[in-house]
Amino acid sequence: MFPQLGNMPIHLVSITLLPIMWRLLAEVRDWKTPPMLLRLIATAFAIAALVVTYGGLLGRRAAVSMLVLMLSLKLLETFRIRDARIVVSLSLFLCATQFLFSQGVLMIIYITACLLSALIALMYLHRKEAYEHVGEAPASGHNLFTQVAFGVRLMALALPIGLALFLLFPRWASPLWGLPEDALDARSGLSDSMTPGSIQSLFMDDSPAFRVTFEGLLPSHSELYWRGPIFWDFNGHSWQASYLNLNLIANNKPDPEQAPFRYEVQMEPTEQRWLFALDYPALTPSGTHLTVDYQLFSTRPITRLREYVMASDPDFLDSPQLGQTLRRAALELPAGFNPRTAEMMADWRKEAIRDADIVQRALMYFNQEQFHYTLNPPLLSNHTVDEFLFETRQGFCEHYASAFTVMMRMAGIPARVVTGYQGGWYNEIGAYMLVRQSDAHAWSEVWVRGSGWTRIDPTAAVAPDRVEQGAVDSLAQRRHMLDFEWLRNMRNSFDLFQHGWNNWVVAFGSDNQSRLFTNFGLDFLDSTKLVTALIAIILIISAVMFMLAPLLLRVRSSHKQDPLLRLWQKFIRKLKKAGFISHPSMGPMELAANASCQLEYKDDGISRIAELYMLCRYSKNTGNLVELAALINGFQPQPQLRGT
Amino acid sequence: MTEIPLQKTSSGSDLLDRLKEAVKLVNQIVVGKEQQVKLAFSCLLARGHLLIEDLPGVGKTTLARALATVIGVRYQRIQFTSDLLPADILGVSIYRRDQERFEFHPGPIFSELVLADEINRATPKSQSALLEAMAEGQVTIEGVTHILPKPFFVIATQNPLDLAGTFPLPDSQLDRFLMSISLGFPEPNFERNLLTSEDRNLMLRDAQAIISPDDVLRLNEACQTIYVSEALLDYVQALLAETRNSRWFETGLSPRAGIAMLHCCKAFAFLEGREFAIPEDVKAIFPGLARHRMTVPHGMETSVEEQISGLLNQVAIP
Repeated sequence: MFPQLGNMPIHLVSITLLPIMWRLLAEVRDWKTPPMLLRLIATAFAIAALVVTYGGLLGRRAAVSMLVLMLSLKLLETFRIRDARIVVSLSLFLCATQFLFSQGVLMIIYITACLLSALIALMYLHRKEAYEHVGEAPASGHNLFTQVAFGVRLMALALPIGLALFLLFPRWASPLWGLPEDALDARSGLSDSMTPGSIQSLFMDDSPAFRVTFEGLLPSHSELYWRGPIFWDFNGHSWQASYLNLNLIANNKPDPEQAPFRYEVQMEPTEQRWLFALDYPALTPSGTHLTVDYQLFSTRPITRLREYVMASDPDFLDSPQLGQTLRRAALELPAGFNPRTAEMMADWRKEAIRDADIVQRALMYFNQEQFHYTLNPPLLSNHTVDEFLFETRQGFCEHYASAFTVMMRMAGIPARVVTGYQGGWYNEIGAYMLVRQSDAHAWSEVWVRGSGWTRIDPTAAVAPDRVEQGAVDSLAQRRHMLDFEWLRNMRNSFDLFQHGWNNWVVAFGSDNQSRLFTNFGLDFLDSTKLVTALIAIILIISAVMFMLAPLLLRVRSSHKQDPLLRLWQKFIRKLKKAGFISHPSMGPMELAANASCQLEYKDDGISRIAELYMLCRYSKNTGNLVELAALINGFQPQPQLRGT
Repeated sequence: MTEIPLQKTSSGSDLLDRLKEAVKLVNQIVVGKEQQVKLAFSCLLARGHLLIEDLPGVGKTTLARALATVIGVRYQRIQFTSDLLPADILGVSIYRRDQERFEFHPGPIFSELVLADEINRATPKSQSALLEAMAEGQVTIEGVTHILPKPFFVIATQNPLDLAGTFPLPDSQLDRFLMSISLGFPEPNFERNLLTSEDRNLMLRDAQAIISPDDVLRLNEACQTIYVSEALLDYVQALLAETRNSRWFETGLSPRAGIAMLHCCKAFAFLEGREFAIPEDVKAIFPGLARHRMTVPHGMETSVEEQISGLLNQVAIP
């Protein structure tokens, strides 16, 4: 329930928490249900708040938020067992909805804990109800531990069926639930525009962006520029993609055979359309295309974990010739902004012979003037580049990339801004590279005759550490209170589990499914066959479970571990097989007397066993357990009645 | 039930043999009631007082007298009637003119075994005169405390409560009785034996004391050495807990009753010739122990006995 609160705006969170707190107080103070009218008003208010917030009740977020709100309001009138059961059942459902938002390992652990507590609550409710119906006291001697153990056992019972469902349930190539477009709201990650200062929030976000497993050659850290959205249009404040670069398809791409880097990317859902690759992508995974500026675009937003194989060739020559239209687009600047920069660039232009000289001079300028790399730069107002270059001189990658690109364009050099990720943390154990949101970066590309589009990272000129160590490690101070290095390292190591989980569970789609069946010699199973197999297997498992359940769910006391009692239970089972049903309230001698009457067995062996057991269990000197074991193991009563 | 050979200690064996002989003798006088006789003896061994509750004429008094006879203790019988006064039980101080002082004349309570016959026919005032004596083994008359002899053992008989002219015993007094047993009508073959054999009174007169009061004290001590395992304590506690469940009785057994249960159980095991107690002992003494301490909840048609056996069937032996 609580992760959902994180998905909701703060005012909805407070509305949700209010009834919960009221109910807690009511329990302490012994309050009664509030009047009907009040409850109706509260409900109407909650729905109104939802509509205002989400503009409707449809969509994933709005619907789940409504569920959360209604569940919390339900608590207002939950004073009977029936209501409590509804609340628990609803919260079970709510648990399931959480997978619409996250399918990570931590979420699984949390949901499991939620399920467990819900199960225990249900067990408690059942016992209480039994108590009210029959007048039988709730079974005593059940402490929290045995209850939890029982809940775990219940869940373990459901596990085989869950496994069967997981393996056999037909997968569609697209998500089972069709998410309406409006549900795809902004998530963490890069966005489709860049205003200097916008990536800043990403630096605080340590959640994984994607993971990469390299085959063979591992690129050096300074080569790890993960290409993402590329921006051409500048309106004075922010950078955006242009119509051209989004819609033109790349004319040629690197030869995959020549590409030195081959790797597989496992990308967390972004709900955006671009994929990430190192410069320059040589492959187009199915459902994607490569634009003229070598962005990888998916036809559908990435709403699930996405895996693709990629090859990259860093030495590829991007656009030896630049067409007029693109050239114009790469030089366009809004009129009336940043006059001081324009003036300076005009001077530089006069002094320079080649374009490359201006690029070098700009980098030198960043390097030698008093520029600082910081995550908390002052705000910029109207002439962003002027203010940045001549006044504040503090910023991070976005500021430098933006300013540099504007400078280049003013000097008549075609330039564009590239955003993406730089760097990555190599997990030695898992042999994969983890790229976090905090690795987000922005840099520039300039077009120079002869070498085509060339990557220039002005940030590297200011803070070379940024490229070598990553944004977070290059900072002198901590980003926030809990930002310790050891914590980051621990988190990086923990990511191994998440990676494995993604590989084996979340990424288990229709491909893996059919691959699994191929191993068993089944070439292809269509949905119908799958469902038939699924139903059959579930029926079989249910039947087995049904028979085993009494055995598995028996609430064992700690005494059950006693070998003596195990022996005695064995004896009783043997008697039962022979036709004598004992009752738990029978003492050993009583049982022996009754059993001897009913069953025929040599030399009153039954009484002998009972006597030995009695000695072992009740007398001071512990009796001969070995002899008892021998007697009981050798005990073979005939299923025969004495009377007949 | 199978007899388990007791690993006898030198002093105990002779004592136990004589005890068994005493039980046998009582069984010859009160025929066909072996279980009740055993319970009566275990009550005696556990230093408790015994309440025999049944219809007139089924042998309550005979049993009580037989017990008194085989133990060979001083034995007084008090026939309780509605005009019985406490002084009739405890004794009175009479003014001796020649010595110019009061002299205390002990009442029938000053003996090792008191048979309080038809106890519920006396008024509560007289009934409660027995209270201090039973609980503390002493009586206080006119400010002077007199110690009663040891062993001190009260056997009371009472008619079923719904008979006319009875004053039901208060709960506090009922609790003083360790056990209550009911004899019931004899089986036909034992009844034939009763009808044909000699007069019970003659048999009682001829009967010899088999154990002495000192023996009784030693037996009491011997009973305390009976071993009680953890497993058995578990069972005793389970039973106690179950009696407190409202579906069986109005109120559950008190901790004092729990201690009493353990004492009885040890005594019963001793009588069986074992050195340790087993659940069967508990089951055997439990009805006698619980019957007079329990009432069936209002609106239930079942009798206390039925509730008790239901409860015993309900509680699993751990």
